[in-house]
Parts: sequence; structure tokens; C-alpha cells
Amino acid sequence: MPLPAAGSADRHVLVVDDDTELCQLLSEYLGTEGYTVEAVHTGSRGVERALEGDHAIVVLDVMLPDLKGFEVLRRVRAHSRRPILMLTARGDEQDRILGLEMGADDYLPKPFNPRELSARIDAVLRRSRPDGAADRRHGDRLVVGDVSVDKGARVARCGDAVIDLTTVEFDLLDLLLRSAGRVIPRDELVQTVLRREFSPFDRSIDTHVSNLRRKLGPASDGGERIKGVRGIGYQYALDERARPR
Amino acid sequence: MHRLHVKIFLWFWLGVLVVSGTLWSLSELTYTRAEDDRRWQQKYTPRVDLWARQETQILRRDGPAALERYIGSFQSDPGVSNFIFDADGREVLDRAVPDPVRRLLASMPDWPAGSPRVDAAERIIAERVVDRRGSSYDVVLDFPSPSVLNRSLFEFLSPDSYGEFPDRGSIVRVTAVLGVAGVFCFVLARHIARPIDRLRLAARNIANQQLHTRVDASVLQRKDELADLGRDFDRMAERIEHLVTAQRHLLADVSHALRSPLARLNVALGLARQRSGHATSEHLDRIETEAERLNKLIGQLLTMARMDSGVDLERSTRFDLGSIVEEVSTDADYEARQRECAVAFRQTGECVVEGAREMLRGALESVVRNAVRHAAKRTRIDVSLECRHGAGGARAVVEVRDHGPGVPEEAVAGLFVPFSRVLGDGVQSPERTGLGLAITRRTFEVHGGSATAANAPGGGFVVTLELPLPAERSARRAGRSPSLAAAAHATSGRSAAYGRRQAAP
Repeated sequence: MPLPAAGSADRHVLVVDDDTELCQLLSEYLGTEGYTVEAVHTGSRGVERALEGDHAIVVLDVMLPDLKGFEVLRRVRAHSRRPILMLTARGDEQDRILGLEMGADDYLPKPFNPRELSARIDAVLRRSRPDGAADRRHGDRLVVGDVSVDKGARVARCGDAVIDLTTVEFDLLDLLLRSAGRVIPRDELVQTVLRREFSPFDRSIDTHVSNLRRKLGPASDGGERIKGVRGIGYQYALDERARPR
Repeated sequence: MHRLHVKIFLWFWLGVLVVSGTLWSLSELTYTRAEDDRRWQQKYTPRVDLWARQETQILRRDGPAALERYIGSFQSDPGVSNFIFDADGREVLDRAVPDPVRRLLASMPDWPAGSPRVDAAERIIAERVVDRRGSSYDVVLDFPSPSVLNRSLFEFLSPDSYGEFPDRGSIVRVTAVLGVAGVFCFVLARHIARPIDRLRLAARNIANQQLHTRVDASVLQRKDELADLGRDFDRMAERIEHLVTAQRHLLADVSHALRSPLARLNVALGLARQRSGHATSEHLDRIETEAERLNKLIGQLLTMARMDSGVDLERSTRFDLGSIVEEVSTDADYEARQRECAVAFRQTGECVVEGAREMLRGALESVVRNAVRHAAKRTRIDVSLECRHGAGGARAVVEVRDHGPGVPEEAVAGLFVPFSRVLGDGVQSPERTGLGLAITRRTFEVHGGSATAANAPGGGFVVTLELPLPAERSARRAGRSPSLAAAAHATSGRSAAYGRRQAAP
């Protein structure tokens, strides 16, 4: 197993898929795109490597011979927030919803176009990387009502409790709070948070929003924190006492 | 009660009536009045003497009132009148005396005591008793004449036959016979009709795709040909279930097996593109288009296979159908703008339905996108949602109408059949697999709804999708609606579906 060269950890991809030939082809393809690929072929090995390795992202197939992909996802998520991209079965709408609900950062139905895979990996990596010096400093805090996000430390709090968010959910919350009170169209959310072109019929952003809702819980007045505006997008609900400070 | 039951019951009952009627007629044919009179006389004459003595004794000792009580107490046989006359010919208890009795008395002025005087035709017996004091009494027993039913058939049919209308006793007897025969026939008819009913129910369930249905155990426990029929039916059902399941699994397995090589093909194609330096290659583009089409096809085949196993209904929830129809319309509108079309959504009333949300969304999406694809340029696609209250309960109805060329009338029905192709429609796009509408129909059917299509009167094409609203669904669920029951069964696992014997609901 080739160890990644120092400094390339942010381009190091762990692929968990039992199809060895596919893994080989993917290594070659992603290699040309500037990634290094480590491939493992069983779920248990995948969990091990995902937790101990220094990969920038895990590409996880849902169908594995020993553990189900979801089980791998669950076990990794229990200890790590490492970005995970699920390869779901085509024809199974529930799989991708389930994957996103369980904390996957993105999904791609398999068989996939490798260009698409590479673009998705890119997007996930770009948003999990701290954005720049300005964001890196501590104290870049945004507070709306009882919710606060610290962009530097990438910590979100609701009241005093730290909320465990995936990268996507964090960015989503950040964007919603930043524009609290304003309706953000879905295409803007997709482009800013998922960092990919908006495509109609892709409902992943909605799943992320509903995950975020669930994790935040209801507002102090019992209402919905993130309101859906039918046909347009989403809005972080704001009452007069909770203007961003 | 079912027709067969009624039929068998009535025929048996009629049979019993005919047989008993025949027997009665045969016995009546051998009947003669004279014989009957003789038998009557033999039966009662010896007893009259005793009765007469007893009664005169009571009269003398205890008086007329006691006699009246006595007569009242032992006169259990209805219709028998008991008169006592003193020596002057006066009825001791002052009762009205019928003429035949008077005539008989008149005919015996000097009749000796101790020997009965009989009028067999009128069924009257008289006896003269002389007590120790020398007083003489005439005790008369007046029996009823034989009733019509105790008459021979010929007498019964001749209008001037003597006798009275059937007495109560005969009516009770006849009714009892009919009643007992009726109960017996009813039970017998039920015994035959019920297993046939059960078999019919099982056959209907199989036809409704509840392939796990087997004949009720009560049929198989019988020891006759119906039980054999039941067993044969079960063998047939098992075979059908096995074949259908095998076919479904084959579809799913083939699709799964194709998934891996296709994934590799896609990546290899990507590599080929990289090597060619991303130069635009017509052939690589073509291969990519075809690969994309295959990807989509595999996805839909898997969806189809999944739907047949009903797995998605496990995650059934209640949700506002309007929200997903609107989302799909909005997304389709986005896509339609490229063709200078627009998708307009109109909703009347809130429609909360129950089901697998993502599955329904996919089904709706395929219909709406289909409409967008076939709409003429610069036209509008109308998507409407309304709740209709009909005979079958409340239903949510989605109508998707485009203003395109429509579909040849003879091809409309075939649209929902997998891999159907509209003749003369040369459209070959990667979007098109021939499975989209088939999946849509299956999805709605699994949810207890329906999907139909027709050319719109003013041109264009309308697809109508219906879903039952939950109030009705929950009521029907108590009775296990066929599709849901089948789906729920299928979720209990592949292996369990084999050879499972389950009593018909």
C-alpha cells in the first residue's frame, strides 16, 4: 500500500469498493486529475483505514461484501467528520436520502461518469478546506438568536450545546445565518454550499436542509428555524430580537 | 349468501318436498274411507264404556260442576266433544249439541245399557249407562271428522269431498317437516358451496398479484374431490409464485450484474478521453451518450425490480402531495425554459397522501419531464392537482397536460408497457428508455392509485395520476388492500416468499 507523499494528504482519496478492477481504473483516472488513491475492498478494512488514515475524502460504495456501506458510514461518522462521498445504487432513491441523512457529504449513483466523480470530490474537498486566512482567525463568530457559528474553529452551537454538523451542514447553516431573514434560492444554495452547478430534480440540498433542521431542533418559540419557501428556496426565520450581531 | 349456495339449497329443498310429496301420495292412494272408519271404531269402542261409567259416577257423586271440570281436564285431544244426556234427553251441562249427535240419540230410544252405539261416518260413539239408582245417562263422544290432509289424494282433489279445512295439527306437522328439511338442505348446500367460494377467493387473490395466497385450510381438511382440487390449486399457485419471483429476481440480478462492468466501462471511457487530451471526439461522445443511456436503463430496471418487491413502502410516510408536485413542476419549468416552454402548476385543495415520498416524486418527475420533452415549442405544460370525492372515497388527482403532437390513438394503451415504442416517433434520446411510464404506473398502483393517459380533446396529451387519500386507505388497510398486503408480504424477505403457505384473508 503506497503511502501518500507528504503534503499531498489533501489530495489523498480512500476508495472503498469491492470491485478491484474498478478501483484500479479509478486510481488511474483520479491520478491524472492529481489525486492519489488508496483502495480497500471490504467494509471493515474501509472503516479501519478511514479512521486511521489521513485521507482527504472517502469514496464509499453502498454494496460491499461484508459490511453494508451504510454501516461503514455509521461507524466512521461515530468518530470522524472526514468527508464521505457515497456511491449509491441507481434506481434506489431511498439509498441516497439515507446516505445523506446518515452524514454523507454527497452521493453519486453508480454507474457514474468519472468526470462527475472527480468534480464532486473537488467540490467536497474545496468546501471542507478552510477558506482562507480571514476565516481562519478565531472569533469570526456569527450569532443569530440562540445559534452561533464559529467559522475559524468550524464549531456551531445551539444555546450552549455544540451541534455535530457535517461540512455541508456547517456551510449551509453559515450561509443561512449570514442571510437570515432573506429567502435564498435553491440554485444559490447548491452553488455556494455544494459547489456544483444547480441541476433541477437534484434534491440533495433539501435533504441537507432537513438534516440541519433536525439537528438544530425547533426555534425557542416552537416554530421552524429554517422555513421552506415553495418553489424558491429556504430562509432562516428571524424574529425581531434575533437580528445578526 | 352466494348464488351457488342459494341454488343448491333451493334444489335440495325442492327435492325433499317432491320426495315427501310422492311418498304421501303413494300412501294416500292405498287409503279408503271404510278402512279408516273401521280402524277408528276398533280403537275407541272398547274404551267408551269405562269413560261413560267414570263420568256418570262423578256427576252423581259431585254434581255437574265437578263433571265439567273433569271433562275439561282430560279433554286434551282437541276437537273431541263429550256430552252427557240424562234420561229426558237433556244435556246435563247445557251445552249446544250438534245435529249428528242429536240424530244418533234419536235413533236409540230403547238402546240397551252397556253396548256402544257407533256412527262411524260421523265419528260419534254413544253409550247408555244405568247407575245403581236406576237413573239412565247417555254419554256421547263426538270425534272430529277426518281432515282434508287425512284424506286420499282423490278425495283431496274432489271439491265436494267431505271434511274440514286442515286443522292446526296438520299445519304444524307439515311446517316442521319443511323446516327440518330446510335446515338440513341449507347446511348441505353450505357444505358444498363454501369450499368453492374459498377456492374462488384464492383464485381472485392470485389474479390480484397476491401470489402467496393459498387455499384455506378448511378446504384442504375435507376428504373429497374439493380438497383434491384445493391441493392442485395450491400446487399451481406455488408454481406461479415461483416463476414470477424467479423472473423478478432475474431482472434484479441481471441489472446488478450489469452495474459493475458498466461502472468500469464509464471509468475506462473517462480514461480514454483523458488520453485523447480531451479532444472532442465524436465517437467518444457517442459512446458516452450510450453509456449514459445504459446507466439510466439499469437504474430504471433496478427501480422496477425494487418496486415489485415493494421494499420502499416500508418507509411510507404522510406528506403533502402538493409540495412534491410543485417542486417537480418548478424543476421541470427550469428545464422547460431551454425549450422556451413553461410549466404551470395549479392546486385545488390540500392533498395529504401516504406513501414512499421519493418513489412518488420519481414517478411524477418522469411524467412531467416527459411532457416537457414532447411539448411543442413556446407552449405551456399544465400540471394540476385536486382532491376529488367520488364513490371510491377521496382521491388526489394529478393531471399533466402538454400541448404537443399527442400520441397515435392505438399506441396510447401501450405507453405504460415496459419498452414500448411509439411507432413513427423517431425520438431516440438518452433520456428515453421505454420504462419511465411503466415505472410510474407501477408506482401508483403499488400505492393503491392508478395512472392513465389520453389525447386531450383540444390537442396535446394528458396523463392522469390518481392516489387514494389516507382516510380511505387506512380504512382499507384494515381489510388489507391487495397491493399493500402484497407489498408488505414481499418486504418480509425473499426466502420467506418461497413456498409459504398462508391462509387467504
